[in-house]
Parts: sequence; C-alpha cells; structure tokens
Amino acid sequence: MMREKTSYIGFTCAYTPLALIDAASYTPYRILPMGDAPDQAGQILHDNLCPHVKRVLDRALYNDLPELAGVVLLNSCDAMRRLADAWSKVRPHDRVILIDLPLTSDDSAVSYFRRELSQLTDTLFHWSGRPASQEALAAGIERYNHVALLFEALRERLRDGGVSKGAARLQSLYNMAVTRPLDETYLMLTGAMEDLSAPAVGNGGVPIFLFGNVLPDPEAFGLFESCGVRIVDEDLCTGSRVFAPIEMEGAEEILSQLARGILRRPRCARTLLPMQPSAIAEEVLTRATACKARGVIACSAKFCDPYNARIPGVREVLRKAGLPMLHIEGDCTMRSFGQQRTRIEAFTEMLRR
Amino acid sequence: MKQYFDDAVSILEARLRDNYTARGKYNLELTRLGQRLYSASHRVALCGVCAPFDLLNAMGINSCFVEFLGGFLAAAGSAGPFLEEAEQIGFSAESCGFHRTAIGAAAKGMLPVPDVVIATSSPCTGGVAAVEHLAHTFGCPLYVLAIPPDDSEKNVHYLADQLRSMVDFVAAHTGVTLDEDRLRDAMHKTNEAREAAIEVYDLAQRVPSPVKGIDLRAFGLVMPLFFGTETAVEILHAYRDEFAARLEQGIGGVPGERFRLMWLQELIQFKHPLIKMLERDYQAAIVIEELNNIYWDPIDVDDPYVGLARRAIAFPFNGSVDRRLKQIQKLVQAYKIDGAINPCHWGCRQGTGARGLIGQALKELDIPVINLEVDCADSRNFSEGQLRTRLEAFMEVLGSRPGRRSTN
Repeated sequence: MMREKTSYIGFTCAYTPLALIDAASYTPYRILPMGDAPDQAGQILHDNLCPHVKRVLDRALYNDLPELAGVVLLNSCDAMRRLADAWSKVRPHDRVILIDLPLTSDDSAVSYFRRELSQLTDTLFHWSGRPASQEALAAGIERYNHVALLFEALRERLRDGGVSKGAARLQSLYNMAVTRPLDETYLMLTGAMEDLSAPAVGNGGVPIFLFGNVLPDPEAFGLFESCGVRIVDEDLCTGSRVFAPIEMEGAEEILSQLARGILRRPRCARTLLPMQPSAIAEEVLTRATACKARGVIACSAKFCDPYNARIPGVREVLRKAGLPMLHIEGDCTMRSFGQQRTRIEAFTEMLRR
Repeated sequence: MKQYFDDAVSILEARLRDNYTARGKYNLELTRLGQRLYSASHRVALCGVCAPFDLLNAMGINSCFVEFLGGFLAAAGSAGPFLEEAEQIGFSAESCGFHRTAIGAAAKGMLPVPDVVIATSSPCTGGVAAVEHLAHTFGCPLYVLAIPPDDSEKNVHYLADQLRSMVDFVAAHTGVTLDEDRLRDAMHKTNEAREAAIEVYDLAQRVPSPVKGIDLRAFGLVMPLFFGTETAVEILHAYRDEFAARLEQGIGGVPGERFRLMWLQELIQFKHPLIKMLERDYQAAIVIEELNNIYWDPIDVDDPYVGLARRAIAFPFNGSVDRRLKQIQKLVQAYKIDGAINPCHWGCRQGTGARGLIGQALKELDIPVINLEVDCADSRNFSEGQLRTRLEAFMEVLGSRPGRRSTN
C-alpha cells in the first residue's frame, strides 16, 4: 500500500528497530555520513571523535536532511551518546528519543531492551497519532524480514559469482533501502533480483571478506574492485547488519521477540558475549572461511574504540588461521579512502601469489 | 612488581612516621593496595570504573579499575614501554593512554593476574573494550555490569539485580562468599566515608582554600577503591583534620591565593611543571577536580544493592551530558571558581566528546575555560612549552577580567 506522504524518522545505528518505526507508519531514514555539509561538528564535540557521528551532526547543523518527524538514536557507544546530547542542543526543536542498548544479549538484557522498545513504541505511536497494536508490529517485522530475505538472496549471488556491478551496486541498494519508503525498496530489490537469471558477472578478483562499521559510499566498493578485490561477503553496520532477519518464535510477546531478535543478530563489536571475551575474532574467521575468502579487509572509522580495540585480536586469530588481514581506518569520506589504494593493491597482489 | 611495592610501602611507612600528612597516608594506602594486588596470596578483580568496590572489599576481593593501574604506572614514569607495547600489538595511538598502558603492561606480564574481570558500561565504551581484552588475555571469567543512563525505579532495580548476580559470579569463581554482617559493616563504613568526604570538600570550598597542588589528585575517582573499609575513613579524617588545621592557622593551600581553578575530568598523571607554575607564578589554586564530589545518597545498610545501584547511575559521566553539566555548574558556584581547565584527555570519547557542550555550560556562568588537548597518561607527545604558553595567556585573561570574585 502506497502512503500519501512520506513521513521520515531519522536514525543512525544498525541496531535501530526499523520494523517498529515502520509499524508506526513512518519511513526510517538513515542519516548516512555522506554529503557536502561543512565540517563543524568537531567544534561542538571534539575533533578526536568518530567521523561517522561528526558527519551525521554536520548534516544536522547544515540542515542537510529531509523533513523529519523525529529522530531515534541509540546509546550504543560513547560517540552516539554524545551525538544525542549535541543534537538536542543544536536542534532543540527536533523530537529526539534515545534508546539505551544493552552491552550483552542475555535474558536480563533482552528484558531491559524490551522495556526500551516499549517506550519507543509509545513515543512513536504518540507522534503518529495512531493506536499501537501487536498486529501493526508483527506486520512491520514481517515486511522487514521480507526485505532481509531479498538482500540475503542478493548476497548469496554475490558470493557465488557476483551481482551485476558487484558490491558497489549492493551497497547502493542498502543505502536506498535505509532512506526510501519500504514499497520503493521492494521495487528496487525486485528489479535487482531479475539480474539473478543473468549469467554470473564475477570480476575475477581475489575473494575477500569485508567487516567493520561504517562504509556507505558505493564508490568505496568500486575502488576495491578496481584494485582486484572481489567482496564475497561483508559484515558492516551500513550493510548486511541492518537487514538481518528477526527470528520470531512461538507465542512470546512481540516486543520481547523483537528485542531478542535485534540483540542476537550479527553484532557490532560494542556488544559482548561475556562467556566468550573477544569472540568477534572467531566470528570473523568463521564468516571469512564460510565465504571462502582468501583474505579479510577490516574497515573501521577512525577513533572508533569498539572496533579499533578489537582489531588486534581479530588479526591474531586470522594470522593463526593463515588468513591475511588488511585494516583500513577512514573518516567516512572517499578522500581518505582513496589514499588507501596502494595498500589495497599491494594486499591483493600479495594474495594472488 | 611485588618487590617494588614491598619496598615502596617500607619507605612510605617510615616517611609517615616522621611526618604524618594526609597525602602521605593516602599514598601509603594506595601503595599497600598495589602490594595486595600484586601478591599471589590475594584474590584480585580488575574492573571498570563504576564497579562497586565496597561490595568487593566486603568479600575480601582486592580490586581496582583498569585506568587506576594505567594512571599509577604513568605517575611512576613507567608507562612509556607499555604504551609502545600496546601500539606494537595494534592498539591505536589515538586511543586512551590509560587503557593502552594497562593493555601493554598485561602483555608484558606486569599487571596483576586477576581471578575475575568486571566490565562496567559506564563511563566509556573504550573501557569496556579494554576490560574485555584483559579477560581474554588472562583467560579469566568476565562479568558485565550494564549501568542504565537514568535512575527510574525499574532501571535501579535492573542494576541492583545485576549487582546481586555479580556477587554470585565472584563467589562462584573465587570460592569467597559474601557474609551479610561484613556487607552491613562495609556499608556503614561507606556511609561514614561519605560523611567525612563531605566535610573535606566543604573545607576545600573555603576562601582561601586549604587545598594545594596535588593534595586531592584524582581523589574522587580513586577513593572508592577503599570504600567499605576503615582505611577510607582514616584517609578522609586525615584530610579533614589537616585542612581544618590549615584554615585555623590561616594557611591557604596556595599562599596569597588569587585565582581559584577547576580541573575537569582527570589530572595529567605523569610529572609536569604546569600546576606548580600556576601556583608559583599566578597564585592560582586548583581547588576542585570535577569528580571530587559526593553526588550520591547514603546507602541503606538494610537494602544496599539498591543504594549501590543508585550511586553507580548517578556517576557524573554516566548518561546524559546534562547531568555532568549541571554538576560542573554547581561546583563552579560552590567553589567560587574563576576559570576551568579541561585537559581534553586525548582518546577519551565520552569525556572530550562533550568539550563544546562543557564550554557552552561554563559560558552561561561567565567562566572561561581552556582546552589543553593532552593524553593524561602518555607523556611522549606532551608539549610543555606550548601548554605553558597557552596557560599563561589564559591566566592573563583571567587576571584582566573585571570583578573577579576571588581575592585574598
């Protein structure tokens, strides 16, 4: 069903419950760290802070945003916490809600996060003036799970031989899916799925598993391919992690299921498994091995403590398994990313030997 | 390290016998804590900043937060090789120097070997990552305390339940159980220390202030390590008596006090001449460090977990920045501050990430602030000359402001 007018809710984190925003009749709009807004956020926050967050705040300061009915932020890391603080100061008339995100995914954390989601539900439905219902929530989850399945099919194609125009095209689709109404996303993904009947278009590049946090610019993926890399799978917060399906089990109350589903899907480095410290390293190895990658590229935003503090452990585990890793730190601009070309080419060359 | 602490304890005990000072007592107890942490005969927990140390003390678990060890090594002038080690392993030089020092020390076998590791979600995600890394390095069990951002009743009980589970976790992994009488006694001691700390801070607010130099360096952050013990009460009473005596004798901490300064977040831990320069050349006293404050209510000894949970949530660096800003503004007025110094600890996202908002909050009170941009644990990039020049200019600005409040 097409809506008469799109009403957007801004968000910034892959843990955001998009299905819930959809259920409240809003379109989630990811404020990607892209665009030409001038650098100003460092003056309000600090220059030595996550460039993802700074670029998002720059967009807010520069008003480089569509009309937003509100903004949903998650207390996922220090930088996001400070973003919420700063947003309220620089755009005091915006409606902003901050949801706390537990560090773990055990039952107690799920129960806590369920309460946070309940508060978000009340707020969003209050804003939209519509009554909250279990049916609306279930429908929202189903719609997003459908999108997740479509993306999974595309990723599978990428692993097997390549999507037309490769990972760059997939990233464009991700970006559209987080900024456009869901109905448009269906149409775009359905169009992309038609390519599945065409022969594989693999670029003959070295198969690489890519992981990290923020890499939304399709041009970055084009750069990889031009360096002889073929991204066969990825785990990025601007990529597959946003569209991991929510597993719905039995008759449990729907918000509890949503909370558990979000906390237990592929995780950002900031989320811990207390029984298995530094588990992210083994998870990267498992994913890289599963997609038959010959190497791993870690892409992290500069000053990102959750990722940058785990990279040494990941490197060590991969080294023991004989999988080379290249770590690229960036500031969310192609300017900084382009400077990595020589390193990526050298890495690819080394893997070809 | 054990030998180092054994020797240091002997020296400090002798020094204290000759000349008893509150700072001397405090240093001795910190060194004794180091001695216990590095002794193979004691149970040890390495923690995040907001762990309930009084609860752990009641269990007889020697504990500290990871940043304390980093700061201790930096203050001893020993952090350099550990910072380099951490960077060799792959930890970014842009990350917090306290965490890098501790991680490097662990890699070189120079950190106490913990029985358990307890991460706290507050104050920073960098700290969580460092604690998780140490759990992995030492192969020891990890417990995570998720501290909610606000003190709604449900949040308080959520954290209180976690604290109860933490006790069970520690007991399961150390074989040490929590005796209810010891817990009650520890909470009484915590409350006694709280009362004494309020007295100390009240005295510090006087004009001129009895506080000098590094009397209360990192005090509000580190003193909780002794909460729940008689040692905390002794240290605080020593400070109270010493400050009261100085005031009675009309002795200010900084002779001829002309300026009263607030130091935000944490002090620079390694040796540097800037504070002495401020005192000597400008008669400027750092009368308050941001965390030298009692921001929490007494703990109900009959229901301690709820009180401990409320205290952890009330930590000024937890949750919304507004909590921190309000406290800073309150302290500015209570201490009659002329200006503030923000070291902007390089690598601290939660702290320096609020730099602009802190500046704005102080501006509302017409209080100038200088942002220094240093790593408080890493002396390798410390630009003394540049910082000295900036501080001198700052002091000139303060001196030229009409209607300054502080006079002596």
